[in-house]
Amino acid sequence: MNLSYTEEQVMLREQIQKFCETEYDFYKREEVVKSEDDFDANAWSLFAEQGWLSMPFSEESGGFGFGPVELSILFEEFGKSLVIEPYLSNVVLAGSVLDKSNFEGKVELIENICSGSMHVSLAYAEAAHSYEYLKPDTNVSDNKLNGTKTLVLNGNNASKVIVSCVRNGELSLVLVDTTADGVSFNTFRTIDEKTCAEFTFENVSIQDSDVIASGDEAQNLLTETINLATLCISAEAVGCMVSCYHKTVQYTKEREQFDQPISNFQVLQHRMVDMFIDSELAKSLLFKAMLEVDADSEDKFRHVSALKAHVGKFGKLSAQNAVQLHGGMGVSEEMMIGHYLKKMVAIDAMFGNADYHLKSFSK
Amino acid sequence: MDINFSKEDLAFRDELREWLANDYPKHVKDKMDKGEHLTRQDMVDYHKALSAKGWMGYNWPVEYGGTGWSATQLYLFNKEFGMAGCPPLLAFGVSMVAPVIWTFGNEEQKKRFLPDILDFNTWWCQGYSEPGSGSDLASLKTKAVKDGDHYVVNGSKTWTTLAQNADWIFLLVRTDSTGKKQEGISFLLVDMKTPGIEVKPIITIDGDHEVNSVFFTDVKVPVENLVGEEGKGWTYAKFLLAHERFGIAAVGASMRALNELKEVVAELNNSDLDKKVAEMEIAISALEMTELRLLSDLENGGHPGAESSILKIKGTEIQQGLTELFVEAAGEYALMYPGAGGYGSNDKPSGPEHAAVSLEKFLNFRKTSIYGGSNEIQKNIISKFVLGV
Ligand SMILES: Cc1cc2nc3c(=O)[nH]c(=O)nc-3n(C[C@H](O)[C@H](O)[C@H](O)COP(=O)(O)OP(=O)(O)OC[C@H]3O[C@@H](n4cnc5c(N)ncnc54)[C@H](O)[C@@H]3O)c2cc1C
Repeated sequence: MNLSYTEEQVMLREQIQKFCETEYDFYKREEVVKSEDDFDANAWSLFAEQGWLSMPFSEESGGFGFGPVELSILFEEFGKSLVIEPYLSNVVLAGSVLDKSNFEGKVELIENICSGSMHVSLAYAEAAHSYEYLKPDTNVSDNKLNGTKTLVLNGNNASKVIVSCVRNGELSLVLVDTTADGVSFNTFRTIDEKTCAEFTFENVSIQDSDVIASGDEAQNLLTETINLATLCISAEAVGCMVSCYHKTVQYTKEREQFDQPISNFQVLQHRMVDMFIDSELAKSLLFKAMLEVDADSEDKFRHVSALKAHVGKFGKLSAQNAVQLHGGMGVSEEMMIGHYLKKMVAIDAMFGNADYHLKSFSK
Repeated sequence: MDINFSKEDLAFRDELREWLANDYPKHVKDKMDKGEHLTRQDMVDYHKALSAKGWMGYNWPVEYGGTGWSATQLYLFNKEFGMAGCPPLLAFGVSMVAPVIWTFGNEEQKKRFLPDILDFNTWWCQGYSEPGSGSDLASLKTKAVKDGDHYVVNGSKTWTTLAQNADWIFLLVRTDSTGKKQEGISFLLVDMKTPGIEVKPIITIDGDHEVNSVFFTDVKVPVENLVGEEGKGWTYAKFLLAHERFGIAAVGASMRALNELKEVVAELNNSDLDKKVAEMEIAISALEMTELRLLSDLENGGHPGAESSILKIKGTEIQQGLTELFVEAAGEYALMYPGAGGYGSNDKPSGPEHAAVSLEKFLNFRKTSIYGGSNEIQKNIISKFVLGV
């Protein structure tokens, strides 16, 4: 047994950390959030140059073939810095579906994603089917796509969306050009300061060549991809939890009330110890989950559920405590700490909240 | 023992309900029911409607134009208004500065300030906290130096709620830095239009502008605006905090939120959430009975003291817990947040209608365990004065 990261993995983490520390401070991020842009285009190009956008793609598709461990490292670091760039939507969600499919045009699409020149989103959610993604109402009949997809991450920036739908009585994933006739969308802000879109498809023409996968293949692709994405955002949550206790320890050591640092108060010390312990446990569940996913084990879904249930509950709690221990500063938008709470709400909401994954785990 | 209210109290409750049904300004009610933001004018209209009925001085003695209500009546007022979803009354004038003025102020000050508070002609804000002085308020540094017939104030206050709307601010200032820090504090009333005052917004994580920094540069305040004696401000400040005992539990408002939550959850068929809602209902019931026990004690001549910190701690935990359940009930749609004030006239996403308001409240209510003496400070109070440790 060996639960240490390899030298390459450590280097990858250091590389991302260096970027986050030097190029991605919170005030720069705030400028982008307050601007018209949804993310920092320069950062996105840098991601492409560093090869981060190509990381998880298989070598046949022109990627590095990195697995869930490397992705988890990346997301953990993204979590610490609250990175808003649309990595999850492009690379993990749309990217893995394409990469693992037998779709003919996939190599070109993946090349465009890796170079950062095109955005592709996965439209998996519908209003009437909370967290149940395998039985959509959106459908194709007579080669026409009809339906509404909600919460399409980064959908407003996408040139193409991969839409889950029913076609010939079975689940299918079809590729739709967002400028095609019959496609319309509204853009909404997310609580973690990104964007998502709600798409309506009205008699959008779908040819056989637009079908990425059908039937069992589509079902597997979607289930595997959502599981991987769940792992990724859970790793992001782990990063948030680590930062929450770090920053809170730092703050309480500096903040003086009653002629002493407030870190002297034992009740606050214990609260921070709890935050630390919960983050360590989250890390442990992350190790378990990413290794099971890496091994493609039968139990991998269960272990991702265990992780997601833990970070859904304790991640939010940690962030709430971090806010509380910062006093008024905790609820001020100017401070980074309150933004971790928003991120934890977003993470819990996505791909099944804590209760949902507890239930999945117990099945 | 008798758990029922007296006939008189029930008649009083009917009178409250009648006002709520007929005289609660419609435009305010509509916005509150939809979770929309009130403008300054809406708040003024609401308070003036209460003034017109003679209820603005709900916790004042009759002598100064107040209602002279009993503790039970006050409780019913808070509960009925909370359950009707009314905006919480702005405490700064009517229940913070006013009792200080009528208890420690001179006749001139009573005449000058109290009628305008009762008629809501002046909007007050509270200038206590400073960047370096939150929980440890007595360490405050904003300085007032006497110069002939006025004080010159320099320094800054922070987290000042709705200072952007305020006509007047009551300030704790340091007039003496030599002795014990509690002893050099004075209580000043300051016109917000005085030259040298600058109000800067602080945006909170819900995206709203509710609090401010207020900066004072050589602000000249006439000496007649000093309340009571110089150096006694700390005593007045503590008096003020003790005065606002009931109502902080917000039982009525939480019951209303609970009922709304039940409606939302009823449609979800989610047994986990059902259980959490039941736990919340039990917690509210326990809180209400605790408040009633304290009340009964008070009406029977008792002096409930630090126990009322229970109401602050549990009241805010329940308020926050309810917002957390609303967010859970929004499920996947807790991801979308348009910012404070909701979608307005913009396109709305599909998904539960309550989601945006729920998220706003969830983020906004984090403050409740921080302000008004943080919950940690409240626990220190209970352990010191009730447990005696
Ligand atoms: C939305 C909002 C509105 C407000 N409105 C007003 C207003 O209108 N006017 C006004 O004057 N003030 C206002 N306040 C300020 C409020 O009263 C202070 O935030 C509060 O007193 C806490 O002070 P602080 O923020 O400096 O936190 P700190 O005092 O720095 O506390 C930080 C953390 O340390 C804990 N802590 C501190 N001391 C101890 C101790 N001895 N033992 C254990 N734990 C401790 C606290 O509980 C908290 O968790 C408002 C605050 C907020 C958030």
